[in-house]
Amino acid sequence: MTWIGAIRRAGRIVEPAPSAPSDRMAPPAGVTGSLQLRHVDCGSCNGCEIEIAGAFSAVYDAERFGARLVASPRHADGILATGVVTRNMHDPLLNTLAAVPQPRVVIAVGDCAVDGGVFRDGYGVVGSVADVVPVDVEVPGCPPTPAQIVAALRSVTGR
Amino acid sequence: MSTTAGRGALVSGGSTTAVGAAGLVLGLSSIFGGGVHLRIGWLLPLVGVRFDVDPLGGLLIALTGAVAVVVGVYAVGYARHEHWSVLTLVLLPTFVAAMILVPAAGTVTTFLLCWELMAAASLALVLADHRRAAVRSAGIVYAVMTQLGFVAILVALVVLSAAGGADDFATLATRGGAVASGTRTAVFLLTVIGFGSKAGLLPLHAWLPRAHPEAPSPVSALMSASMVTMGIYGIIRIDLQILGPGPTWWGLTLMAVGAMSAVFGVLQASVATDLKRLLAYSTTENMGLVTVALGAAALLSASGAPTIAAIAITAALVHLVGHAAFKALGFLAAGSVLASSGLRDLDRLGGLVRSMPVTTAMFGISALGASGLPLGAGFVGEWLLLQSLIHAPTQGDPMVALAMPLAVGAVALTTGVGIATMVKAFGVGFLARPRSTQAADAHEMSRGMAVGMGLAAASAAVLAVAPGVLGPVVQRVLAVLPAVGGDTAGPHLGAMLRLPGIPGSMSPGVIAVALVLAVIVAVGLGRWGRSRRPAPADVPLWACGADELSPRMQYTATSYAEPLQRVFDDVLRPDTDIEVSHFAESRYLIAKVTYRNRVEDPIERGLYAPVVRAVGAVAERVRRAHNGSVHLYLAYGALGLLVVLLVVR
Ligand code: SF4
Repeated sequence: MTWIGAIRRAGRIVEPAPSAPSDRMAPPAGVTGSLQLRHVDCGSCNGCEIEIAGAFSAVYDAERFGARLVASPRHADGILATGVVTRNMHDPLLNTLAAVPQPRVVIAVGDCAVDGGVFRDGYGVVGSVADVVPVDVEVPGCPPTPAQIVAALRSVTGR
Repeated sequence: MSTTAGRGALVSGGSTTAVGAAGLVLGLSSIFGGGVHLRIGWLLPLVGVRFDVDPLGGLLIALTGAVAVVVGVYAVGYARHEHWSVLTLVLLPTFVAAMILVPAAGTVTTFLLCWELMAAASLALVLADHRRAAVRSAGIVYAVMTQLGFVAILVALVVLSAAGGADDFATLATRGGAVASGTRTAVFLLTVIGFGSKAGLLPLHAWLPRAHPEAPSPVSALMSASMVTMGIYGIIRIDLQILGPGPTWWGLTLMAVGAMSAVFGVLQASVATDLKRLLAYSTTENMGLVTVALGAAALLSASGAPTIAAIAITAALVHLVGHAAFKALGFLAAGSVLASSGLRDLDRLGGLVRSMPVTTAMFGISALGASGLPLGAGFVGEWLLLQSLIHAPTQGDPMVALAMPLAVGAVALTTGVGIATMVKAFGVGFLARPRSTQAADAHEMSRGMAVGMGLAAASAAVLAVAPGVLGPVVQRVLAVLPAVGGDTAGPHLGAMLRLPGIPGSMSPGVIAVALVLAVIVAVGLGRWGRSRRPAPADVPLWACGADELSPRMQYTATSYAEPLQRVFDDVLRPDTDIEVSHFAESRYLIAKVTYRNRVEDPIERGLYAPVVRAVGAVAERVRRAHNGSVHLYLAYGALGLLVVLLVVR
């Protein structure tokens, strides 16, 4: 049973939970500890995606605070937007947000999503996420660390 | 022109219905009121024509009559719309009459005469639209195969009547057991080949998926619902009634042929994209199931289990009738789709539920029957068949112990794939959004066609919910089939189906009532729940972020069947081509991807093509002798005369 041995040798690899962030918002669906998010890549360099994957990995484990990534906006309480909004992704972003039931939350992850970041003046760029849809939570950084992302998610899940 | 066409259609459809109604009355009266006998001495020199209708023939006559009534009503509207020629109009009732005469025939000569009349009439009807090349090629295939089948039947019956020393079936039935075993074997094999080709059994099924789609739809309905059952009738009459009970291997042969036909037919149907071709392969499948039941009956009565054999033969008869109802309906519904949109290709249909709601409902009833689910017309027959196979006592016979589980597996596989096939035909063809402008412009056809389909649907529904109506009929038919357990009590077909000696019973009526109640409760609860929730919001359809869904994004028949096609790759042998063309600048940029997928009949390719090639090669040789020179032909004549003179010297 090598895999049982492997599990035992690895032990707990998850980071100990830091204390909950202080600046909280009310959970959109009214339930603490349950936040279903649809991720929308509006034109990111994929750096932010790697960090989001890290935030949901076994080490940072955002799911223990109640945040989950889901496959369909119909199942979601909000969207997790990364990258500058490019022309091609402008309409899909609006369509996706329209498909999320209200009340909903928009979390902008990374400098690009917050204010355009390094791509701000590019020819194919519409603007930051906040220029297109109202943003509730911003996570600055290029890319933000998984710990920062987890902290931002916890400010919404309330755990 | 249009009034003439209309009058012609009315006369043709009306007389078809009249002939059908007469057949229905004749069939039922001969089942319940004793046999009908008729002798016309002058019609055929030397032997005369003789008709004896017993309950078995009566069942087939009544079945054909019922199908013809429905088809006649439907054909009034259809023939007017399609501007049928006078020949076609005349041949439709003729074909029906010939089909009614086949099971009525009391002697071998009469039978052969009627059989050939039926074959010729159906061939001419298949060729109704002979201007299209596909129709002509289907006609040739059908003509060759039906005549080869006729040759087999002719030889078999002539040998049989010579060996039995009589021409009429009644006398032959009493002497059948005394025929030498070698002759019996030869007759059995020849009749299985001949009648099997008419019933669309493997490997002589190839005419079916060609002729059925190309024939006008009312003709397809007649052919598929009643003409193929004449093949089954022949097998029952000659092999089970006259020659039976045969040795064990007869039953095993029938079961093997039937199981292979069922599985192969349903697999081909599952990947077919042509709606009528799909229905045609489904006919092969269902006739295969009936043949499995016949084989099981023969095997079980040979191994000494007549009660279970009676259940199997009941399964065959019930399924024959059920199949006639749902298959006629299926072809008629496909016919109205074809008449309205000009399409048979499922990949281009869709969305008919909104534009043709009646036809959609009709096809739905037919598909439910074809999938063998409860409340479908095919369910009771398949249930009886499975019961007889599962509960067959082995009596220490290893062949029975081996054959029955294998047959159960084949029937189960057939039913499973059959459900997928019918979900495909109904879901892709009728639901969703139209995949082409023709499908979008489709509209409901004439009232007569709807009435015809409605009649067929009503009988399918009655057969599905109350198969008890067949109870008395089946009982009388069983009484004339003592060789396959007909002299036992037989299963009880009433409101509750009870099987003698088997702890199994079932009531489709109760299932139907329970389903209706469940639907009412579910709808009521849904209404009640909705009244307590806030009003629903209107939001756009989720299309993965894109602006709208297009019909091209839907499942097609091909894509739906792709997993099945992959699983059964070895049997279906699909022909798949993927062509990728790149831009000239870079191999990494793709300009176009072409995907082509064709599933041909592997048996046709593997078995028929070499034969056709060989015949072609021989014909080519023979052709060299025909060079058009009159002198040469005169020389041939002189040579021939010389040979004759030498021989008879
Ligand atoms: S913020 Fe940085 S890492 Fe994230 S998408 Fe923009 S450039 Fe990439």
